[in-house]
Amino acid sequence: MALLSTHPWLAYREMFLGLVEREVRARYRGSFLGFLWSLLNPLLLMGIYTLVFSVVMRIQVPNYALMLFTGLLPWTWFSTSLTNGTASITANANLIKKVYFPLEILPLVSVSTNWVNFLFSLPVLGVFLLAKGIAPGWAMLALPVLMAVQFALTFGVNLILATMNAFYKDVEQLLGPVLMAWFYVTPVVYPVSMIPGDYAWLTYVNPMAPLVVGYQDILMRGAAPWSPGLFVAALEASACLMLGLWVFRRRKFVFAEVI
Amino acid sequence: MAVQGAPRIGSVAVTGVWKEYALASHRPRTLKEALVGALRGQGAEPPRSWALKEIGFTIEPGESFGIIGTNGSGKSTLLKLLTGISKPTLGTVEVHGKVSALLELGAGFHPDFSGRENTYLNGAILGLTRKEMEERYDSIVAFAELAEHIDQPVKTYSSGMYMRLAFSIAVHVDPDVLIIDEVLAVGDAAFQKKCIDRIHGFRRDGRTILFVSHSHGQVAQLCDRVAWIDRGVLRALGPSRDVLSRYEAHIAGTEG
Repeated sequence: MALLSTHPWLAYREMFLGLVEREVRARYRGSFLGFLWSLLNPLLLMGIYTLVFSVVMRIQVPNYALMLFTGLLPWTWFSTSLTNGTASITANANLIKKVYFPLEILPLVSVSTNWVNFLFSLPVLGVFLLAKGIAPGWAMLALPVLMAVQFALTFGVNLILATMNAFYKDVEQLLGPVLMAWFYVTPVVYPVSMIPGDYAWLTYVNPMAPLVVGYQDILMRGAAPWSPGLFVAALEASACLMLGLWVFRRRKFVFAEVI
Repeated sequence: MAVQGAPRIGSVAVTGVWKEYALASHRPRTLKEALVGALRGQGAEPPRSWALKEIGFTIEPGESFGIIGTNGSGKSTLLKLLTGISKPTLGTVEVHGKVSALLELGAGFHPDFSGRENTYLNGAILGLTRKEMEERYDSIVAFAELAEHIDQPVKTYSSGMYMRLAFSIAVHVDPDVLIIDEVLAVGDAAFQKKCIDRIHGFRRDGRTILFVSHSHGQVAQLCDRVAWIDRGVLRALGPSRDVLSRYEAHIAGTEG
């Protein structure tokens, strides 16, 4: 019995997969060259930061470039998802004003597309690690947990920012400086051990900190990533996701009127 | 035509619908404006207006129903409520069954992708599963007369080809309720005739058709009953001929 519209959830799943596939393929169009292109950004950043911090400022950290690259990949997933996701409602105004579909799909596509890119870049990181004599270990089995926490966090923040940006068009411009500040309080260009004790609380407030440290533990040290910080991050991510869904669902039926 | 008991797939019930719109010009557009407004103690109660006032009608399954009104009368607002894109401020809108709206033509087409790729994705956006799409794909391409160009990027299409493909996908959704928003000016005369024939086919199959227009010609040809919306108010509701003649008289009066 069909009450109201019979929403074909299977079709929406296929719409979601179709959009992710389109975004991923649009990026890798031109096959291998396209793939290299998407790696260029983290590689370039790795080169610049290595030059600045390792060569010029002579920071004493073993495997500095490798540590950077290991942190830059999840950070790129996070920051690019937020940049795309925040604009996902306004950028699809034409679609939203014409077709009914669950709008949660759009910010979800942003997170998922960049997650796929993250997965595609892992083998490249693997080659770097092997070149340094670091073999993958059993700790790799904990990767899905880290990715799940990061996925929930990113999707939750995306839902909030996409909602705000639908009403206030300058949110996407404000996001750039915010992400830059966020990047520097996350231990990507410096090891977490260099954070002074007075500022250790930052790694609890910022869920990206234990996540990045977790990826480095797993991939570079072959160590299990479990830490109190990661546990707090998982709680923060869940809270973000619930808040995001609540905010988004309260507002989504107004999007077509304000964008 | 009346069907006893629930559910009646293809029926539409609009009950006591009011729709309020915030006036866009008074709303802060940026966080900066919102903050400045808040500091100045402004922005508390933005002036609001009613886009629709106390609209109510029911459509039986298989009926061809027209909604007519001048530009800015509230037709497109009503359409957004019927497709579920927005929600009424007061009252309820119930549409039973699968809805497809021909106002969605080409929404979501990506210029860099081929007609084939866009067809599959557009089908999913309009609520078709991959299996359903595979069954209908050949028919969609044939109807759009695009067999030779279907593997080329959509950006190479002429606007006529683009609209033909979009229309063909939309009519292949096979809806219980088909909403048509005066888009019948698709392609050349021959293709237009094909579109009209297709819509008449829907009607013969007993599908519900909701036709929204500001011109009476096609409404008179297609619809059994018509609702006339004027400045957000339901001015008349009844058999096409009666309502259309009142609408025509009104237009002639305001213009003459």
